[in-house]
Amino acid sequence: MSALEAEVDRSAREGVERELLAWMSEAKPSADAERFERLALALFRFQFTACAPYARLCASLDRTPDRVEQVSDIPAVPTGAFKEFDLRCFPEDQTTQVFRTSGTSVDRLGALHLDSVVLYEASLLANLRHSFLPGLVGTRPEMRFLSPGPAEAPDSSLTHMFEALRLAEGHPSSDYDLREGRLDLHAFEAAVERARRADRPLIVAGTSFAFVHFLDDPQAAGETRWHLPAGSRVMETGGFKGRSRTVPREVLRSEIAARFGLDERAVVNQYGMTELGSQFYDSTLVDPDGPRRKEAPPWTRVRFVDPESGRDVAPGEVGMIVIHDLANTGSVAAIQTADLGRAIRSEDGGVIGFDVLGREEGAEARGCSIATDVMLEASSREPAP
Amino acid sequence: MSRIEFDWPDEGAERVRAAEGRLRLAGEELARRPFEARLASVAAVLDDWTRPDSPYRRELAAALAEATPFTAATIKEGLDSALRAWRPADFIACAEREIGGTTRAGRCSLVPFEWTTVIAGGALPMPTMLSGLLPLVLGSPVLLRETSKDPVTARLLARSIARRDETLAAAFEPIAFPSDDTMALEAALAAPCVVATGSDETLASISSRLSPTQRFVGYGHRFSIAILGPTMDDDALMEAAAGLALDVSRWDQSGCLSPVVAYLVGWEREAQRHFASRLDDALRRVSADLPRGEIELDRSISIAHERREARMRAAMGGMLFEGSDHTVVLETDARPRPAPLGRFIRLLPVESPAALIRSLEPFAGHLSNVCFAGLREVDERGEIEDAPREDAALPPRETPAAASPIPPREAPSAESPIPPAWARLGVSRFTSPGRLQTPPIDWPHDGLPLFVPLARFTNEDLGRHTTKVD
Repeated sequence: MSALEAEVDRSAREGVERELLAWMSEAKPSADAERFERLALALFRFQFTACAPYARLCASLDRTPDRVEQVSDIPAVPTGAFKEFDLRCFPEDQTTQVFRTSGTSVDRLGALHLDSVVLYEASLLANLRHSFLPGLVGTRPEMRFLSPGPAEAPDSSLTHMFEALRLAEGHPSSDYDLREGRLDLHAFEAAVERARRADRPLIVAGTSFAFVHFLDDPQAAGETRWHLPAGSRVMETGGFKGRSRTVPREVLRSEIAARFGLDERAVVNQYGMTELGSQFYDSTLVDPDGPRRKEAPPWTRVRFVDPESGRDVAPGEVGMIVIHDLANTGSVAAIQTADLGRAIRSEDGGVIGFDVLGREEGAEARGCSIATDVMLEASSREPAP
Repeated sequence: MSRIEFDWPDEGAERVRAAEGRLRLAGEELARRPFEARLASVAAVLDDWTRPDSPYRRELAAALAEATPFTAATIKEGLDSALRAWRPADFIACAEREIGGTTRAGRCSLVPFEWTTVIAGGALPMPTMLSGLLPLVLGSPVLLRETSKDPVTARLLARSIARRDETLAAAFEPIAFPSDDTMALEAALAAPCVVATGSDETLASISSRLSPTQRFVGYGHRFSIAILGPTMDDDALMEAAAGLALDVSRWDQSGCLSPVVAYLVGWEREAQRHFASRLDDALRRVSADLPRGEIELDRSISIAHERREARMRAAMGGMLFEGSDHTVVLETDARPRPAPLGRFIRLLPVESPAALIRSLEPFAGHLSNVCFAGLREVDERGEIEDAPREDAALPPRETPAAASPIPPREAPSAESPIPPAWARLGVSRFTSPGRLQTPPIDWPHDGLPLFVPLARFTNEDLGRHTTKVD
């Protein structure tokens, strides 16, 4: 690529990013199909020219920019490809941050390369404020994170998200209560006590398996010991990945709510992945009376497709989740996940969100998890005769 | 008039306990029979299933076609080929060798377990049949918990036993209860001998519920592979491709004996491409006769993912062949990658046998069977020696006793033909392409003998070391 072409590419991306940042900074960002379509196609043209492995995929599918006219025709990259290829649209030496998926030595880890976290953080904060912090934005509540801190997990996108949230919206006393793999119950309980004395909401966020360990820990037992003040809320995310017992999502939510003395609607699940710049939250804090579903920020589009034909399934039918996330400007915006989902419709038939099916049970079996999860998926099969 | 229905919370457990009572009684009668008589009866049942005109096999094939996602043709071919390889003579010889020989030669006596619970797993019928029959030979009645994926095999097996032998039939009860019926499971796991097939997690869960005084035999999940060397002429290459295609297609690659990868050891790149193309052709031919059945949505997603990733790698030297119901991916390295199954086979090039062993080490203990062609054997140091004997299996078999009208196979060497390195990886059988899924009945599943793990022996040693008391 010539210097001039590189400059043109860079300016194309910068143009998209400027418009996205403006969108994300609106008081109430709303869906805008025309805007999304235009930005998505512009971003596709840029990513096709700037990311060679992606361009190869597009070419082999005969879906190059000159042949793609709508977003649904833009080829999606499977999440596993982030393990195989450096999917970035900038020179390697401009990398400022790499987020890695979990895994073991058997497995090559997936990686999201970033040359800037400005858009990444703008997306996650806009979404967190809308979906997780309604009524609390600007109040700087104390936050406790059942996850390792940035020093312990510098390449964790989840920890980065928590840190961005802590800095932007958290009280200075906010902190991480998972250190070297152990929950610091003493510090956590002290924070609960502080919140109760001040009668100020406490924000608790962490990985699903950390909550399971907390719930299972005999030293954390107590009927009302962990009850939180009104307005408090909990966010859990991720699977169990062999790090704790596996708990159905509904059961975990119910147990968390009971332990903290909260309405279940104050417990939200976040659906996200390292490969994405945006995340998806349960709707219950935004729409307490509506059905629980995941809401998509306006700069994302979630589709449910038939894995064999690649075509969208009928609304409400189960399909493979494909996410188009415009916040992924520096890698690839169209991501094909390994998850099953379906659109949730309102009573008048309009799509108001989506549901992820079997994430807890399926994640491990689909090979995104621990240990010998690669070929060994094959060993979880029928017995030999 | 309205009808009132009750949900009886321990209904499943009650059924298990009632069956246990019946089985204990039937077991007393069964145990009084001589070992040889029990063996002959079970072998007769086996013969009813394995002979070419077996009505049971026909009935099972029809029932499985209704109850499972496999196509009727795949089921028929899978059953016919697998049961053809089960020779009652081998079964008898194995029992004589493992049990008869032991009890007659020494002072050991066989003392049957009062009852044995078999927790079947998966949708393939052969393991269910075999695990249901083995304890009967040893004099232990069987409670067989069928799998949700195969609600027909155990019941048909019970019917075939009843037709042959009433005493044997009384000592065999299939039972079904949901996987979340923990009370029924606890009752079933009260048996002094428990046999289970399933994932490592399932086996660990069952094992943790048993006391140290109970016998537990678990068969875990494994996978099989092909190893192909470059020393094949075109005919041999076509034969290997056809055999491998059949192995991949049988039971839609859903068995532990289905190959998930084929290692191409020491092949030139062009030869690799040629073989990948031949394998794709062979899979298409097999599919014409044995079309793939329906696959689950999450399996389709895995296949779609792996195909798309392979497409991205293809530009860097890999190859992807996509059929309507199969996939062949020729990789450029031997890095482990997911195996989505559903007739999806990867060809992984490795430079040498030593590199092959190294690439398999992460999966130690999880390998099952290996088919090979065009390659002399590799020993544990990765050096090439003589080829392993086809259908070689651990442990070594001795000359079987003649106990059946059907002549046994030729007795193999007493020395194990499988090098220790392979046994350490979990490999319990070497064979040739096309035969992976048709092991002989006495193949040591998971490296275990057929009967011994299910047997309880006692020893009488009276009067030999007396102490004089003044």
